[in-house]
Amino acid sequence: MTHLELENLASDYLEGLLEPALKREVEAHLNACTSCLEMVGDVRRAMQLCHSAPELEPAPWLVSKIMRATVGERKPSLADRLVAFFRPAFQPRFAYGVAMAVFSFSIIVNAAGINLRHMTVEDLNPRTWFFRANRAGHLFYARAEKFYYDLRVVYEIESRLRQLRSHPEEEQEAPKQEPPAGGSTNSAPLTLPALASNRAPVVDVADPAATLRNEIVPNPPTIEAVRSQNP
Amino acid sequence: MEQDQELLDRCLAGEDSAWEALLSAHTRRIYNLCYRFTGRVEEAEDVTQEVFIKVFQTLKSYDAAQGSFSTWLNRVARNHLVDHYRRTRKDRVTSSLEDELPAAEERPSLHMGPTGQVESRERRETLQLALDRLSPDLREAVILRDLNDLDYEEIALVLRVPQGTVKSRINRGRLELGRVLKRMEGVRGPAKAGNEP
Repeated sequence: MTHLELENLASDYLEGLLEPALKREVEAHLNACTSCLEMVGDVRRAMQLCHSAPELEPAPWLVSKIMRATVGERKPSLADRLVAFFRPAFQPRFAYGVAMAVFSFSIIVNAAGINLRHMTVEDLNPRTWFFRANRAGHLFYARAEKFYYDLRVVYEIESRLRQLRSHPEEEQEAPKQEPPAGGSTNSAPLTLPALASNRAPVVDVADPAATLRNEIVPNPPTIEAVRSQNP
Repeated sequence: MEQDQELLDRCLAGEDSAWEALLSAHTRRIYNLCYRFTGRVEEAEDVTQEVFIKVFQTLKSYDAAQGSFSTWLNRVARNHLVDHYRRTRKDRVTSSLEDELPAAEERPSLHMGPTGQVESRERRETLQLALDRLSPDLREAVILRDLNDLDYEEIALVLRVPQGTVKSRINRGRLELGRVLKRMEGVRGPAKAGNEP
């Protein structure tokens, strides 16, 4: 067997495709020829390298890219569309929105005075809603006003203001005592400006009418004075 | 094979999911074939897409009597790769530096450790550089036989040449590949085969 013949049979020999007789001839040549033995060794290593070469993993988006290039964007099925429609319902925002809507609805129903357990046809009329809501609003306002005026603090403030309005002159004519000019106040008794009297006027038991007159007009003019002014 | 035929029938009936199933079943193999021919990941992805677009457009022309769908797919891919090679030959001459670094952008496999990934990458790079030095006829024969595991008959169908020619090309391709690898080992050191101890 020549070198060229062996070279042509190298692949078949390594793949085990040779007839036994031919295989023996090849092996006999290889035992005698180092250059051919080396050549067969090189081919064997090349085949082993090819078989052991790892396959590459294609990009994960390659199939979908080819799908888009061939059949285009896939049309969504009914199930896909339903899932897409209800997807927002699984978000927390949707739950908050529903809770707020229920809360608002319950406030409106309550304000409109609608009893959901005993609803009538009249309850469905918007005019009835408006009337009831208006009534409920007014009732609420009246109750709040009553509550406000019933408060003790408010009552006391109002009574003081009433008293102040009824004695404005007393406030203005209250004596203004000048503090001693300079020096110490030890020698003179300290006199503070008179505060507005919060006490009710003392009523003369003997002549209550006079007391009342004095309250209304503290110094009534005499008849002579009136006549001299209006002859 | 029967599964392919069933998917093909459904696909021809206009079922998109069948086409997607066919794609999922064959993309990896065609992508690897394209990578072996082009030597670049992005280019292999583009060529894979072009191959499947061509397959989709000519799906009706597939004749089961002339071979399996897989063989037909390989033939379409191989013809497209030959066209692609002729189209981009000038670009390849000017961008030879990029060809020297084919695996720089590959995605690492998650199943291997760091050492395994490095070794795997080295083997792939060495093999790719050696394959690039073969003539196109010998290279495609070796790729189809030793990397895509097609038998001689299938390769003859894909390349549309007699089986004797296929055997001859494979043998010459292996001899040439062995010599190239030996020369490269002299420069870079030996590349370990995966099944060697």
